Amino acid sequence: MLENTIEATEIKSSGELLKTIEGLKSDGYRYSTMICLKANEGHDFIYVFEKDNKLKNLRYFVKPGEKPKSVSGIYLCALLIENEYQDLFGLTFEGLAIDYKGHLYLTPNSPKAPLA
Amino acid sequence: MTTVIPFGPQHPVLPEPVSLKLEIDNDVVVGALPSLGYVHRGLEKFIDTKDYNQTTYICERICGICSALHGITYTKAVEKLFDAEIPERAEYIRVIVGELNRLHSHLLWLGLFADGFGFESLFYECWKYREEVLDVAERITGNRVIHSISKVGGVSRDLTKENIDMLLKMCDSLEPKIKDIEKVFVNNYTVKQRLVGLATMSKQLAYEAGTAGPTLRGSGNAIDVRETADWDIYKDLGFKTAVAKEGDCYGRTKVRIDELYESIKLIRNAISKLPNGDIATPIKGFPTGEAIMRTEQPRGEVVYYVKGNGTKNLERLKVRTPTFANIPSLLLMLPGVRLADVPIVVLTIDPCISCTER
Repeated sequence: MLENTIEATEIKSSGELLKTIEGLKSDGYRYSTMICLKANEGHDFIYVFEKDNKLKNLRYFVKPGEKPKSVSGIYLCALLIENEYQDLFGLTFEGLAIDYKGHLYLTPNSPKAPLA
Repeated sequence: MTTVIPFGPQHPVLPEPVSLKLEIDNDVVVGALPSLGYVHRGLEKFIDTKDYNQTTYICERICGICSALHGITYTKAVEKLFDAEIPERAEYIRVIVGELNRLHSHLLWLGLFADGFGFESLFYECWKYREEVLDVAERITGNRVIHSISKVGGVSRDLTKENIDMLLKMCDSLEPKIKDIEKVFVNNYTVKQRLVGLATMSKQLAYEAGTAGPTLRGSGNAIDVRETADWDIYKDLGFKTAVAKEGDCYGRTKVRIDELYESIKLIRNAISKLPNGDIATPIKGFPTGEAIMRTEQPRGEVVYYVKGNGTKNLERLKVRTPTFANIPSLLLMLPGVRLADVPIVVLTIDPCISCTER
């Protein structure tokens, strides 16, 4: 078990994730970034939000084969990082505001999902 | 009827390649789609082959303008994993070099911006003054472009008496020159005609769009990471957030000019309070755990996430750069803008594409 981890609220389902993020937006939180990590054959997402110079983190485990829901419908600015993870981790986000379909950075001849 | 035209990736006002597909109706933009991928280097993957100390040099090479602040943010993130106490003198030196980064970055941007709206002599002036900053930074860090100063545990070079004298001389020399260029950027009729009311974002919109740095503060949001507890030394140096209410290109320009004065003040205050002592503390072992570190780069807040697993290599490094946060705001700023003003609007987010794509 890894010690010294960052403080983050565990989210169990994609429905709960979207609801929580909508709540954060209503509470005046600013979208900062999302971190994607390989974990147990799937991926760990850490969503980072900021308000009054303090961070609030959400952690959500994406199961192997799961298509994560995009939060770009709530925070438009999330579209770039989600597209980046489509390129680098080979993920497919559902409901992306603008979908580069795995070609934000990578060309058809590039290595596939280099961070996966 | 609308037409789609390409803007970039090669364009006279763009120092780095980024492409925008502009949908225009007559000469008014109705939609914009950014396209990236011209300078992606895969640096977050590259750290697989480097240990956590060597990764400092990778991070410094993410950007050729704010290199020192990338290195500082990374090393501070790793120091969090070690729960290391860093000598106070090292923290002051980091602030000084970080503010030198901001000074030369803003002067570079002001020059490019002046060039963007066709004011060539103003461009020359800004870049001439920037040389004074680069000369000092080169003397302190040993390099003109990559200002490498930070290492895990402190800094790699101390400030000599000669360095301090150069810094103070530069501050004294630069301040009246900034006042001169400020008069032109803020008061000149032609400049104001080009900037005032252009690509306005309300305070709320800039906040919700997740913008960072002068793009955020130029819309009236007094948010600057230098005020946070992560790097509390700034509180002792009398830091004050620069903010403008206009929300347009003019407001974003004013913020950057105000930040030049603020950086000079911070350098002077850091020198006056510079403590004696060590410049680094030895760090032993390998990092384990997770940490997030934020600092305020010239273009805005940078977010570093590091994860160590007890080996010499980090398991994950994630960098969210300020331009990455600001590019989506172009989707909101550009509609309604005339085609001739697009270069100016794009420049006001001070786009750094090497940072963005890493």
